[in-house]
Amino acid sequence: MLSSFKTADQFNSGSGFWPSPFTLSGYLDAFTQVRLHEYVANTLLYAVGGTAGALTIALLAAYPLARYRFRGSGSITAAFSLALAVPLVGLATPEFFIMRELGLFNSRPGMVIFYAALMFPLSFVVLRSFLAGLPPELEEAAHIDGAGYFAILRTIVLPLSRPALATVAVVSFVLIWNEFFFANLLTVSQRNQNVQLALAGFKSQFGSNVTGSLAGATLVMIVPVVLFLILQRQVIAGLTAGATK
Amino acid sequence: MARPVALSIAPGAILFTIFFLAPFAVLIGSSFASWGGVDFTFTGWDNYRTMIQDPVFWKAVRNTLFYSAVSIVVQVPFGVVIGIILSQKLPGWRTFRTVIFVPFVISGAAYALVYAAFYNSRYGLLNQALALVGADGKDWLYDTGTARSAVAATFAFIIGFTVILVMAEIASIPRELYEAAETDGASLLQQHLRITLPLLRNVIGTCVLVRLLGDIGMFDVVFILTSGGPNDSTVTLALYAYRAYLDGAWGYANAVGTTILVIGLILIVTVRRAFRIGERAL
Repeated sequence: MLSSFKTADQFNSGSGFWPSPFTLSGYLDAFTQVRLHEYVANTLLYAVGGTAGALTIALLAAYPLARYRFRGSGSITAAFSLALAVPLVGLATPEFFIMRELGLFNSRPGMVIFYAALMFPLSFVVLRSFLAGLPPELEEAAHIDGAGYFAILRTIVLPLSRPALATVAVVSFVLIWNEFFFANLLTVSQRNQNVQLALAGFKSQFGSNVTGSLAGATLVMIVPVVLFLILQRQVIAGLTAGATK
Repeated sequence: MARPVALSIAPGAILFTIFFLAPFAVLIGSSFASWGGVDFTFTGWDNYRTMIQDPVFWKAVRNTLFYSAVSIVVQVPFGVVIGIILSQKLPGWRTFRTVIFVPFVISGAAYALVYAAFYNSRYGLLNQALALVGADGKDWLYDTGTARSAVAATFAFIIGFTVILVMAEIASIPRELYEAAETDGASLLQQHLRITLPLLRNVIGTCVLVRLLGDIGMFDVVFILTSGGPNDSTVTLALYAYRAYLDGAWGYANAVGTTILVIGLILIVTVRRAFRIGERAL
């Protein structure tokens, strides 16, 4: 990381551990040559949109499956949860094929939908086990007062789930931000790609610009690191819940 | 109540069907076919036959298992020991926990770039350090003898996840157990060997499982650092399948994909059995 502040000349001459002269030219390259900020905008869209989508859909599905027992409820829960244990890279070609057939290949909305789907199992598993641990009395009282299903979900379940939603949101944001495999598979034009692909591009396009690529790597890793430092408690709780439930 | 419940589950069920169930069906179906995205003819077990006769496939299997083994053998024991030490709440443990966890939230792509610079044959830190002590450097990532180990070294020490899970589990162990052991005169080491470790069985198994699931699909670090080279010495199964996909051999790629899922399934079942995950610890 120190090297990202070196000039290309200093890096290439291999002289000195500390940057001297101290320069931001690597960072300048990251924005002017690679236009990193455009990738950052895409990645933010995917991470925020995908997380919001996954949380909404997962809460909708997790609530009834945590609260009611009905025919098939057990197998639906098992199926949704099992998706968490599948090494998804094995499904690369089929995912590409389906995205293409649906007209979602290489499109920003397509990627948002895809990431929402990718984060759905994790969000579902964590939310369901959280909701199963909530006492049902409040909902029953609301039901007796005549509130309908979706009203109860919105006015009672949603506010109560806030801590669980927060933990899943942080973890999902970081996972989408760092996602490389499917971004590489499902987007081709630069204007739809995420920051991880920008980094890979840095290596191939500017093979000799090591300081630039290190500056890019530094910028890209800063986001999840800072997010983690601020929301440490949520990240840890989210990962613990996701892994053990 | 039935109608709103069905409506409520529907979006999740639709996403699940489109992005998990359908791809799964396509994967298995087309693994028995010659398919380039358009023309589709069933060819039986041909793809699998070609696969097991390809030495590169076996290299990919060996490398994938090698990477998984390295990450488990290094990450899990180190993580457990550090987790136990940090649980003693010595001064500064919070800061240390944060520092040790940070590498976990950094992406594989960012890692790859940092290590590419580190291993750089002429300017990288590694060879410069070796030169200082008079040793000869190497072109680590382009030497068939060192490339695989060099790649493995990039993720072997990411132990934050294990540390966090271990600490969470230790926090839930009743203090009385240790107090009782102490009155019986057990040393600190004995207490951890006899009480902590057996109670961590479930969590250790979970860490092994999560690592395995990640490692079986390992792609980004290898893709960026070496693209599987030199001479396929670092190729993984995911990368091998991806190459077939790029060549338009989709059916073949899916035979490899199916193999990845099957290996994953076998490993999951084995690890769950071995660590008796899901059973009560006491």
